[in-house]
Amino acid sequence: MTKEILSKKPLHILEKIKENLEKLNEKMEIMIELQKHGHKDTLPLPDASLDVMTLLSMPDHLRKTAMTICRCGRATAEEVSQQTTRARAVESAYLNQLVIMGYLKKERKGRKAYFYADRDSQG
Amino acid sequence: MSKIIAVHSYKGGTGKTLLSVNLAATFAKLGKNVCLFDLDFRAPSLFAILKVEKSECWLNDYLNGACEINKVLLDLSDKIQGNGKFFTALANPATEAIRDMSAKDRKWEMRALGRLLSLRNKLLNNHEFDYLVFDTSPGLQYSSINAIVAADFVVVATTGDRSDVDGTRRMLRELYNLFEKKTGLVINKVLDATSKSKRDEMDSRVKNVYQVPMLGLVPCFCEILRAEGNLIFVQDKPNHPFTNILEEMAKKIDANEVY
Repeated sequence: MTKEILSKKPLHILEKIKENLEKLNEKMEIMIELQKHGHKDTLPLPDASLDVMTLLSMPDHLRKTAMTICRCGRATAEEVSQQTTRARAVESAYLNQLVIMGYLKKERKGRKAYFYADRDSQG
Repeated sequence: MSKIIAVHSYKGGTGKTLLSVNLAATFAKLGKNVCLFDLDFRAPSLFAILKVEKSECWLNDYLNGACEINKVLLDLSDKIQGNGKFFTALANPATEAIRDMSAKDRKWEMRALGRLLSLRNKLLNNHEFDYLVFDTSPGLQYSSINAIVAADFVVVATTGDRSDVDGTRRMLRELYNLFEKKTGLVINKVLDATSKSKRDEMDSRVKNVYQVPMLGLVPCFCEILRAEGNLIFVQDKPNHPFTNILEEMAKKIDANEVY
């Protein structure tokens, strides 16, 4: 019994390290994108809702991503990138920017991160 | 391929409802299954044109999340002679309902967009309908922009009026383009439309000013004014030139020729 627990522990630690590395990678992607487009587009808003007027006022690169989520309802960065034909890493950065701005929600299920516009809980 | 078509314009009175009703009826005559939506919640009019007095539920109720879309749809296929189904979803014309829709906040509009977008899964992807036609409010209003975002193709109705020309040009650049929407322009109420000089003038305007594909040029027909909204023109006047123009438009859209 003790032997079994001991053999599982290194595996668990490795999984944790991998998870943290993925989180770090995402944050790096966001920082790179922030540098590209400037910080002013990414300030969190107190009462953000992803309605059509918000979509109209967004910079083009974020609107494309946000529109894709509006159409899909819920999607991973990989799924969004298939529709926009941009790189997955780029979409991941834009999606995370939209999360920071308060327009999208993010939910992890296993190793996948799903993004969606939270229409039901608001208002 | 199934499509959502929004009929929109910058100004009111450009003939959006006339085009929407007759385009939808033409699709049904051509054997397509079509559903016509009244998204002009501030001035609902399809109930009067289609002579429907009551509805179990209205489109307002669907967007409010109070009912499912199948409760809103009305089968009016018997009004159109063709092999296609002709359904409609109507806006509630009661003053109270108009007032209620005018007072919605941004979060409601966001949810309404979600419900409009979900019509694709509910009505098109299961092959129940070939076309959904959205008749919208003019200008930059929430309900019409929601309809444009949900649509695959926008029929932009315009006239020769100077204020309409400028506004339409701006909308093409600052609204449809930003949402990456495919558009087709219909110039309506054209005087002397049969003269070559007038046609050349319109062609040059579309090419130089609007810079989008022309879907159709509709002359100013006195018969349409005389009908006072009592006829579904393409159904009741099958040999009229207006009917032929609408048939050409529907075929162009169906064949993706305007994209």
